[in-house]
Amino acid sequence: MVTYDDGGNAWPATSSRLLSRVFSTRHKTIGLQYLWLSLASVLAGMVLSALLRVHASWPNAAIPFLSDFESTPERFTAMRLLHGSLMVFFVLTAAPQLGFGNFLLPLQIGAEEMAFPALNCLSLWLTVVSLAGMTASFFRPPSQGIDVWLASAAIFSLAALLSALNFTVTTIELRAKGMTLPRLPVTVWAWFVNAILSMLIFSVLLAGCTTVLSDRVLGSNFFSTAAFLAQQPQNLVRQVSLSVLWQRVFWYFAQAEVYVAMLPCFGIITHLVATFSRKPVWKERLVVLAICGVGLIGFCVWGYHMFATGMNPYAPLVFSVLASSLGVPAAFLLGSWLGTLWNGRVQFTTSTLFAIGFISLFIAGGLSGIFLARHDLSRAAVSEDFVIGHFHLVMGVAATFAILAGLFFWFPKLFGCRLNEPLGKTHFWLTFAGVYCIFMPMHWLGLLTQSTLLPEAQRVAVALAGASIRMVVTAATIWTVAAQTLFVANFFGTLLRAKRAEADNPWQATTLEWSVASPAPEENFGAEAPVVYRGAYELTGSSREQFAPQHLSPELLAQKAR
Amino acid sequence: MPGTITTPEIELILEKKNGGGGGDLPPAGGGDGGDGDGKKRPNRPVSPGRYYTGIAVGIVSVLMFFMALASAFLVRKGGADWVPVRIPALLWFNTVVLVGSSGTLELARKRLGNSDVLGFRKFWTVTTVLGVAFLIGQVVAWRVLVKEGIYLASNPASSFFYIFTGAHGLHLIGGVAALIYVARRNFDAAQVTRSVAAEVTSYYWHFMDALWLFLLALLYLGK
Repeated sequence: MVTYDDGGNAWPATSSRLLSRVFSTRHKTIGLQYLWLSLASVLAGMVLSALLRVHASWPNAAIPFLSDFESTPERFTAMRLLHGSLMVFFVLTAAPQLGFGNFLLPLQIGAEEMAFPALNCLSLWLTVVSLAGMTASFFRPPSQGIDVWLASAAIFSLAALLSALNFTVTTIELRAKGMTLPRLPVTVWAWFVNAILSMLIFSVLLAGCTTVLSDRVLGSNFFSTAAFLAQQPQNLVRQVSLSVLWQRVFWYFAQAEVYVAMLPCFGIITHLVATFSRKPVWKERLVVLAICGVGLIGFCVWGYHMFATGMNPYAPLVFSVLASSLGVPAAFLLGSWLGTLWNGRVQFTTSTLFAIGFISLFIAGGLSGIFLARHDLSRAAVSEDFVIGHFHLVMGVAATFAILAGLFFWFPKLFGCRLNEPLGKTHFWLTFAGVYCIFMPMHWLGLLTQSTLLPEAQRVAVALAGASIRMVVTAATIWTVAAQTLFVANFFGTLLRAKRAEADNPWQATTLEWSVASPAPEENFGAEAPVVYRGAYELTGSSREQFAPQHLSPELLAQKAR
Repeated sequence: MPGTITTPEIELILEKKNGGGGGDLPPAGGGDGGDGDGKKRPNRPVSPGRYYTGIAVGIVSVLMFFMALASAFLVRKGGADWVPVRIPALLWFNTVVLVGSSGTLELARKRLGNSDVLGFRKFWTVTTVLGVAFLIGQVVAWRVLVKEGIYLASNPASSFFYIFTGAHGLHLIGGVAALIYVARRNFDAAQVTRSVAAEVTSYYWHFMDALWLFLLALLYLGK
């Protein structure tokens, strides 16, 4: 007698079709679910950012949505927290890695499923719980809200760990025949390195959240109190903050989290730039090394945000050097993107535009990063606005551009139809102009407001200028948020319209996901496992049609050429 | 030829095969646990490599969690409010039990290697019992401390004592669950053999053992 105790197929056949769709273990369904989650979060987060700007410009104006709450400073701090949590956890971390990664990783390496599908499903639903928790924390009074937020962050860490485990094992173990490491698409490298990085840092966040939560709820003494501070060097006590240890643990996670958000975007951009320039990735090996380098150095710069809070005076210097040295792999990546575009037969689709937009934002945001990596300068001359401008450009907006570029590119594989190109291009230009109008003045604001060394008369003038710059920023924010309606219209309009049958490979791309139908079929590659014959970016040829997909055997390729 | 079949066609084929529902027998190749969609997948052999890699990666992650706590412990123990916890003598006994369980686990695997399933089951059960005994011992050690008036909230040292033992205990409960799962599961239909499952479990169990020795040393030397 054979018994099946796999835990699968437990749903009764008739009643639970929907349930088994919702709690699916299929990597494609899960990937899409992550993307829907991100879409909801990004829209909510964006509206919040507009509200925050409105509040910054007109502090006394009653905001319709929020007038039911008291509009105290705490409320707006909570709103900032919600904006940040939604964007960082559920958009920047979720979409490029968990959304696109879950959908595309098995397809790109020629696997039929992730290594541990049940774990994957669990991690998705933990993420959903965490999203619900972080949203709920906003509606609670602060003391309670913080507890709920911490618990949600811990749950998110757990989900991220499970996903990272899945990604790592899938990449190592489930590659198709012939898919050697040098033949992996750069996207897969980025997801892989990123999974390893997440594996290391989310455990630390989990430990941090557990201990803080235990302090708050059970009254343990991990992070309290003044007695601890009295033992510490003088420079630490000068900062009144009592939670230095918590800060260390948190920034150990949070600084690396920046690279967790960015790494998959690097992969996506490299992939798209090569495909749309019809050229192989320039210096592909170096790019892969640079991605590994970003992962490694990104893991080591955790002390960087602690410049302001007591450390051994020599430590900031070390972190400063490390943080600056991130410029080296970043420069490699940049060089490769530009080198690939150079003399390429660039196809200006919306996806290409967003990819080039990413590169532009990456340069602009990266330049201000060089200032901030100086441990002495960052304290002396600039205020919060400069930092906010910097990280929104380089992390927030740039990553969003990469997500949009990826979405326009993979939309046929995801849903079986293409997004509207003219609408997409209009949306791109409006957004591109909008974000520069928001964040460039914000850098300026950061430099201005800190000029306390100026004489009195000039300070008044500076304050006046500051007020008008703030107004410009607010107007630009409203403009940019409004421009996103174009995207929403495009997205839902395309999905709702009757589907045209889409070509399997509309972009003439080489990687394995384009060897199957659009949208990707239920069982990925069917009965026959794909075999890989060459690297991922053999795009050179005299015409657009001359490219070598990874899965075509040399004989078939020769036939196709004839 | 991939790329020629569209989704509706595949669904049609699957409908026929599965008789219009997910109620049929699952494919034999569902060893990855949970195929909730109830559709047949092509039967491809699954190499056990993913389980070895998975447990290795998982161990690194668990290690990182405890290292974060350990470094917080080392930073924190300079504080003036630090009152060292006297480690209950019972902990030494518990340690012997846990190390012993690692030994019996290896004995069990050796029996399995000689295809002596009965012997394997015997030693495997002994391992499970020792594991449970360790957990009970830890709880008793907590009660001893509580009787002495040392609670989680008493001071930083006690907080760390409870979180180290508690977190390790939680992870070990996972290990015990794995032991029970391997003992009870029917491996005839599964894609992994019993010896692979036993080996993967043993890695985790030995890791838990070594981790406990490390934590104990930390608590003992670092007080």
